[in-house]
Amino acid sequence: MVAGGGERTLWQYRELLKNLVLKDLKLKYGGSWLGFVWSLLNPLILIVVYSIAFKYILRIQLENFTLFLITGILPWIFFSTAVMASTTAILSNGNLVKKIHFPREILPLSTVLFNLIQFLFALIVFFPALIFLGAPLRGAVAAYPLVLLLHFAFTVGIALLLSAVTVFYQDVRHLTEVGLLALFWVTPIIYHLSMVPERVRWLFQLNPLTAYISAYQDVIYWGRWPAGETWGLALLWAGLSLALGSWVFRRYHPSFAEEL
Amino acid sequence: MASSIEVRDVWKQYIIRHNRSDALKTKFLGLFHERYRERREAFWALKGVSLTVEQGEAVGLMGPNGSGKSTLLYLIARTLYPTRGEIVVRGRVAPMIEIGLGFHPELTGEENVYLNASLYGLTREEIDEIYPRIVEFSELEGFIDAPIKNYSTGMQARLGFSIAVHLDPDILLIDEVLAVGDERFQEKCLERMMEFRRQGKTILFVSHSVEAVKKLCDRACLLAHGEVIAVGDVARVLEAYRGSIAV
Repeated sequence: MVAGGGERTLWQYRELLKNLVLKDLKLKYGGSWLGFVWSLLNPLILIVVYSIAFKYILRIQLENFTLFLITGILPWIFFSTAVMASTTAILSNGNLVKKIHFPREILPLSTVLFNLIQFLFALIVFFPALIFLGAPLRGAVAAYPLVLLLHFAFTVGIALLLSAVTVFYQDVRHLTEVGLLALFWVTPIIYHLSMVPERVRWLFQLNPLTAYISAYQDVIYWGRWPAGETWGLALLWAGLSLALGSWVFRRYHPSFAEEL
Repeated sequence: MASSIEVRDVWKQYIIRHNRSDALKTKFLGLFHERYRERREAFWALKGVSLTVEQGEAVGLMGPNGSGKSTLLYLIARTLYPTRGEIVVRGRVAPMIEIGLGFHPELTGEENVYLNASLYGLTREEIDEIYPRIVEFSELEGFIDAPIKNYSTGMQARLGFSIAVHLDPDILLIDEVLAVGDERFQEKCLERMMEFRRQGKTILFVSHSVEAVKKLCDRACLLAHGEVIAVGDVARVLEAYRGSIAV
């Protein structure tokens, strides 16, 4: 018989987390490879369009621009889709939250994990392109999983925060959408941080995503280990985001069932 | 022996939000115009409810609509939290508040069993163990690998109920779920409840059906307007219940 026992911890709910991520994957891909191909269309189109616009029309002074673009845009797509989806992670599961007691954190967490897996799929598919474009794959590549881990932690914190706040203020969804649009252009994805006028560069460096995107670029585009300062910022933002996200989530989750 | 459920002087307040707005715009306008301002009214759904359910007991929770039965059930299921007072629950709770809750139409019966059971905190190994029994009890062997959107309502209910009774909870919270499936399946469900009782499990049963409460419960509790009107012997509480709905 199944073991009894009262309160179950987040760890004991790992099966739920896994099943929710699997559910999303099954629904999106429906077991067919065609579904998977469609999911790569979004990054592919962005890469092609931005390459044309910035390389051939605006003639950006960046060697091997397409490689630079791919390096930054794949993690950006992960971040922005995960954050956008997290705004409805609790809202769209209202009936479950109202009627079953389970750790609510699982919902935004599964949203971020689902998007992380899509990011990893995309990385595998675009990997040959990186090689073809001449990415200097040296020892620094070993830093990639670490950068990804910190970036993931940062994203989880934001997802916790937004999934909780949207339950009470649904407009936050729209604000997030607009905010992400603006964030894209103030993050060095299609330009290098050194191209930003020195006067305002510190402002761009305050953007948490600058730390993560620069670290990815260090590893893949420049083939070097990220500087201590970049690591420090990446770690700091991840810690702050997780702390703020889980504090807000803990504070407000007891009222979720009433608000939904 | 320690009791399974202890509800101690529990009060639950809801805030009714007239002219409710979750939009920031209306919140902003509300600062200047009375017309846009949200009016909040406090409503006490439970007013000092105390109830103890001993281990192995089956208690019927009765009362007219709006008496606070569901609120009490949700509080014990821990999806709502009391405004005041305390609730102690000893053991694993399986709420059968809505059958088939969390089912996803595109997933197969099997996938839904795994997803649903994990919602209640079961691990992979635990689900593997009960899976064959769930399928057998639901009598859906031939359909278990079909998407659940192709099931009839009755079939979905059978699968949902079957999952719930195989979670092997210590405490079963039931909200009018016996009203699913055909008569034969209802009979089977009631039988299963009786078996639960023989195994010494605790049952809290919300129902309007006097017959079902009589059959299943040792004791009954009658709620009205968020207060306990009568508690104890089923026959005596049922009498009070008839009185309360007659008024």
